[in-house]
Amino acid sequence: MRSRGVLRGISAVILCVVFAAGLFAGAVAPYSYTKQFRERVDATPCASHWLGTDSLGRDLFARLVYGTRVSLLLAPAAAFLSTLIAGVFGGFAGLVGGWSERLILAAADLSMALPLLFVLLALRALLPLDVSPLVSVIATFVLLGLLGWPSSLRVVWAATKNLRNSDFLLLARATGCGRSRTIVRHVLPNLQPVMFAQFWISIPLFVLTEATLSMLGLGVMEPLPSWGNLLRGLEDISAVSANPWRLAPLILLMVVVVCFQLILPTQEETA
Amino acid sequence: MISRLPRNLALLILLAFAPPIGAQTGGELHFCLHGEPKTFNPVLVDDEPSENIRYLTGGVLIRLNRQSQALEPALATSWTISRNRRTITFHLRQGVHFSDGTPFSSEDVGYTMRMLMDPETHSPTGDAFRSGEGSVEVQAPAPDLAVITFPAPIAGLERLFDQVAILSAHSPKKEMAVLGPFYVADYKAGSYILLQKNPNYWKHDAQGHALPYIESVRLDIQRNRDIELLRFRRGDLQLINRLDAEQFDRLQHENPAVTRNAGTGLDAEELWFNQSPAAPLPEYKKAWFGAKEFRQAISMAINRGDLCRIVYAGYAKPAYGPVSPSNHFWFNSSLEEPKYDAQAALPLLTQAGFRLENDSLKDRAGNRVEFTLVTNSANTAREKMATMIQQDLSQVGIKVKVVTLDFPSLIERMTRTFDYEACILGLVNTDLDPNGQMTVWLSSGENHQWNPSQKAPATPWEAEIDKLMREQAAAPTDKERKAKFDRVQQIVAEQQPFIYLINKDVLLAVSSSVVGAAPVVLNPPGFWNVETLRLGPAPDLGAQR
Amino acid sequence: MRARIQIIGRQLLTLVAVCLFGGLLSASLVRFAPGYGVDERELDPRLSQASVEAIRNSHRLNGGLLSYYGHYLASALRGDFGTSEWLERPVSSLIKERFPVTVRSVVLGVTLAWATALGISLAGLFFGGFFLEISGTLASGVLIALPTAVIAVFSVYLRAPVFLAIAVVMFPKLFRYLRNLLAEAYAQPYILAARSRGIGQARILFQHVLPLASPALFALFGVSLSMAFGAAIPIEALCDSPGVGQLAWQAALNRDLPLIMNLTLLITLITVAANLLANVAHERAL
Repeated sequence: MRSRGVLRGISAVILCVVFAAGLFAGAVAPYSYTKQFRERVDATPCASHWLGTDSLGRDLFARLVYGTRVSLLLAPAAAFLSTLIAGVFGGFAGLVGGWSERLILAAADLSMALPLLFVLLALRALLPLDVSPLVSVIATFVLLGLLGWPSSLRVVWAATKNLRNSDFLLLARATGCGRSRTIVRHVLPNLQPVMFAQFWISIPLFVLTEATLSMLGLGVMEPLPSWGNLLRGLEDISAVSANPWRLAPLILLMVVVVCFQLILPTQEETA
Repeated sequence: MISRLPRNLALLILLAFAPPIGAQTGGELHFCLHGEPKTFNPVLVDDEPSENIRYLTGGVLIRLNRQSQALEPALATSWTISRNRRTITFHLRQGVHFSDGTPFSSEDVGYTMRMLMDPETHSPTGDAFRSGEGSVEVQAPAPDLAVITFPAPIAGLERLFDQVAILSAHSPKKEMAVLGPFYVADYKAGSYILLQKNPNYWKHDAQGHALPYIESVRLDIQRNRDIELLRFRRGDLQLINRLDAEQFDRLQHENPAVTRNAGTGLDAEELWFNQSPAAPLPEYKKAWFGAKEFRQAISMAINRGDLCRIVYAGYAKPAYGPVSPSNHFWFNSSLEEPKYDAQAALPLLTQAGFRLENDSLKDRAGNRVEFTLVTNSANTAREKMATMIQQDLSQVGIKVKVVTLDFPSLIERMTRTFDYEACILGLVNTDLDPNGQMTVWLSSGENHQWNPSQKAPATPWEAEIDKLMREQAAAPTDKERKAKFDRVQQIVAEQQPFIYLINKDVLLAVSSSVVGAAPVVLNPPGFWNVETLRLGPAPDLGAQR
Repeated sequence: MRARIQIIGRQLLTLVAVCLFGGLLSASLVRFAPGYGVDERELDPRLSQASVEAIRNSHRLNGGLLSYYGHYLASALRGDFGTSEWLERPVSSLIKERFPVTVRSVVLGVTLAWATALGISLAGLFFGGFFLEISGTLASGVLIALPTAVIAVFSVYLRAPVFLAIAVVMFPKLFRYLRNLLAEAYAQPYILAARSRGIGQARILFQHVLPLASPALFALFGVSLSMAFGAAIPIEALCDSPGVGQLAWQAALNRDLPLIMNLTLLITLITVAANLLANVAHERAL
């Protein structure tokens, strides 16, 4: 147990450091993420470029730091959105039951079956051309949030159903507690840990989804860096074995995701 | 009790001196196609994988030698073109049979031409012959004589027959009976196509041996270039027809013996501004894009040398016109090659009414000069070029935004809604003759990208180009045609409707087990001489396997 | 009995309705997304104006989307699922070629992931080894942090078959959930009692633990099948494996309406059916 606490502490510290680096990217990164040092293309790490440069001569450390800003600051926003939607609909389905429950569950199934990649492709192409890259990034994450709710929904729905059939709720109804009061005073507070757990789990999931999307060419648009964008360089494995520092974004991504998992209370602790 | 040793020794000595026949003929050539072939019918071919299969299996009347760029007799031993350049008469080779044994005669030529010119068929090959209203007539007065008459004269007529693979009129196998060096033996959709040597192929080498030397060709369908390179390194594949510059560079450092640079290719990458009056752009932007000084200044401010060096690892050359210098005949060498000069761009812009204020360029009305550059998302080289151009133009105060779209969305903006400002795309030039690009240069053409399908030419210089293109199509000699097209190139250099960026080199990887490979710049670069390629012993891969 | 049939009937009806609606939804998505009806061939300068017009017309939907969908359903009932615009071959033959490849990868991948996850969790619970516990958690923690695309790229490089990539993607999610589920089941008072009585591990597992956990296990199985199919699309696209996932990805890039419609129907059918089976098994077990 104590070792768990220690691990949790370390993870929290790491996450805070990474977050801060992303937030204060301007101060941390030595150069702008767009500046092309054309004389030093594909450079190996050195004093002036800590992680070397990419194929257009842009400093990789700066791109990593700014990419952290994009991935780490927007993924929680997307997670918040999807958890909110899942919470509202899942809770409604669990509490009310009947036709609406079936309808909402069917909609969730349908959502999971629809080609998400195609929806993203289409929605991206619909964006007007003269929006700034930042707006397009925000739009991508908002879309991810709007489309990522089905998996959280089932969890919330199951939890709400359990609550609905639980003893204390029956007791509340028997003592004449009104509908809205039941919801606000009893259901919501008990759903809170579930929702928070879902929110926390979703963050790394959205970071990972964004990474996969960018590797397929559907994510954040150049020249704005994001972890997914930076991972595109991994598609050519032989280049990576020649330049192993190119794995830095992947390692950072994995460290952050692992930290997110370690912070979450385990099953034993919540039982 | 006889010792085995002398006998084995004798065998060994015999083998050592035996002619290495096994290494000289037979074997299977293994390489990849980058997409699924849509058809095996040579008349309907319009995509690259199908064209490659057509090249390997089809027999043509006249063959363009990809190396010498000269025309050679193939199934036609000789041909004559009439004075009015509307009729061509072929003397056909005798004693030739299709791969299934059906005899070849002028009837098959007639049948093929009729299939090709069918109004329901919409193939690039057939459209090249549609020079005017009216139908194409084919007569077969004798089994070895075919006479084809066209409704109007066609420029460069003979070269077009390099794309016409002859179909059999009578064979029960329809289009699968072929006259080329190989025939399709097996096809597994999504996986591979297996071609076997055509036993009835008419060509023989100087010693009278039957061609091709290779027994079979296996074409795998592989879209992913990285996987293709991986397989080549492992010895799975013996040829990569087109390598990316980055891949080539890396392979060059590992194993220079397998890399081949055939030279500067015909393909160009270009940038253009939307000059269509139907574009939903603000008027002041249309005014910028319509000003020739603006376009010339942009062209001057782009550092093409850096583009070649960084994006293509040096395996490209700056391009300034529609014709690549490798196209020896048609390239206008008298044109001056402009230099990269960002400093000279500014005075030019000032001349056009722009002024630099606090590091940002403004037009007469005070609008900040900025535009969005679109390109297609699947092409990393273009994305990189767009990003580099973004930085180049920021030095003259112009703010450029780069947006990548998937190809269908891009095409929709380019051809239907005209909702874009500037675009970078590549022009794939398969033909040396500029006559094949009429729809690009004519102002009424759909591929006149910056302002397609005009009812009447919008500017005097476009009207002049129209006139010149029509004249070169009708001109009787190649020399006259070249003079007209040289003038077109000159106008393009002055007006910069397309700002040409680079001409890529044609890069290949050829395993050392392939003997006789001679990569060229024209398509198909690696296997244009497939009938004379041989497969030697596989190179010792040692630990790599 | 009759109520049972009614319930199953209603669920089947829901299945059909959801699938049909899903097909219509994806069809409208493709139809109204930017880039519909354009063809790369239009840019070929060798084609004449008439040919370009003909190509454009071939992509036009004459008569609106709903009637198109209606016609499609009518012919589907007769067995004709339309022709792919991009590949110019009948959809049914394309799917018949590619579906077995994907099914094989998904089934093998899911089986492998389940076997490994179950194996490690049960071994951890049986032998109570700290080492197994830690290595399982570590493996799943690290693997879950890898984006699907990266796993696909690594599997290409290591020449691993597609099902292995799918198994690697599914394993961490399964392991974590299974481990908690089984741990919870084993912690039940009567299981503890049975163990203290000396009843064999195998008997406890099959007669007590598994039946207790089975509703959740079935639900998880349904979800894992649909997750595996979802992961198959980027994995196949990146590994260039000739399955349904790669076909779906290429169809999306090419705006091939008949193909996308059919594939969405297929995947919706599988997903909803998997969830349905999970629900039915859940209720039966209860």
